[in-house]
Amino acid sequence: MSNPDWLEHAVRRGQLEPWTLAHTFERYRQLEGLSEDALARELNCTRETLHWMSLCRKPEGEDFRAQVTAVAQRHDVSPLALAKVIRHVEIMNGFAESESARAANGDTAPLRLAARENVEDDEKNS
Amino acid sequence: MSFPTQAEEQALHERVLARRLDPVATRDVFEAFTEPIIGILCKQRGQTREDARDATIDVIYSYLNHPERFDPQRARLSTYLTQSAKKRVLDFFRSSEARQRREQEFGGVFELRAMTPKESMEITVEARLAVERLERALTQEKDRTFLKLVLEGERSTHILAEAMGLPASTEAENRREVKRNRDRLMKLLGRLRKEDHDV
Repeated sequence: MSNPDWLEHAVRRGQLEPWTLAHTFERYRQLEGLSEDALARELNCTRETLHWMSLCRKPEGEDFRAQVTAVAQRHDVSPLALAKVIRHVEIMNGFAESESARAANGDTAPLRLAARENVEDDEKNS
Repeated sequence: MSFPTQAEEQALHERVLARRLDPVATRDVFEAFTEPIIGILCKQRGQTREDARDATIDVIYSYLNHPERFDPQRARLSTYLTQSAKKRVLDFFRSSEARQRREQEFGGVFELRAMTPKESMEITVEARLAVERLERALTQEKDRTFLKLVLEGERSTHILAEAMGLPASTEAENRREVKRNRDRLMKLLGRLRKEDHDV
């Protein structure tokens, strides 16, 4: 895989598009306080591969697993590791949205967080 | 580097239209078109590679956001993207030309007449005081950067959102946030000006 000079710029620009993996990876890095290199290590790939993968559409919906597999196979990364990153971001985004909605409704009761189970389910099913 | 064949381009477009069924298609669009389009734009006179690159990337994201706007009956995908990128580069050029003109006009107003040393000193002191007041009012570095860009005539939501340090979001949300921030800072400037007059 070549590493053209425009690749990193395309990734940065892609972070503004919620449908991209660039957006998801950036959100994950913010949540976990990771550098790009650290995320690449977590996905067991090079930074360059991470950039190419960032230009893909974020897997979602009913055929989530097939989409993750397609992206993972193309970039030679573990589907499980990739799914974990995507699911983690989805869960935290969902949590943030529900918290905003609760705050808007003036609800201050503590929220029970059970979302982690989704990731564990994915792990068992993979 | 050359474009794919017409059949390959059409197949790629169909994969993009399939969206979730083929999450890798978007990456393949970048791989197939970015370098050839940048190459064509760079051959235009006075064209920098940076502008060519930014325009090409912008145009590809626009296409990927709305692939249905491309009509394969009218042109090849490579032609559509290249023409869009050429227009985008022209927009960049016009925008930077307009900014230069504004700066020249602004400079011209100041050069209209030579000031006496006393006037010059007074203006320098007043300007320094105004800057100090502004710095006290704008405690956030992001606000200063944002205001500087606005006063320089920057209108790109993308650049202003970046200066604000907004997290990646939709264009509409960014536009709303940028407008809200600009209104807030303009109100602040108005208040400072009023205080200045009251003193």
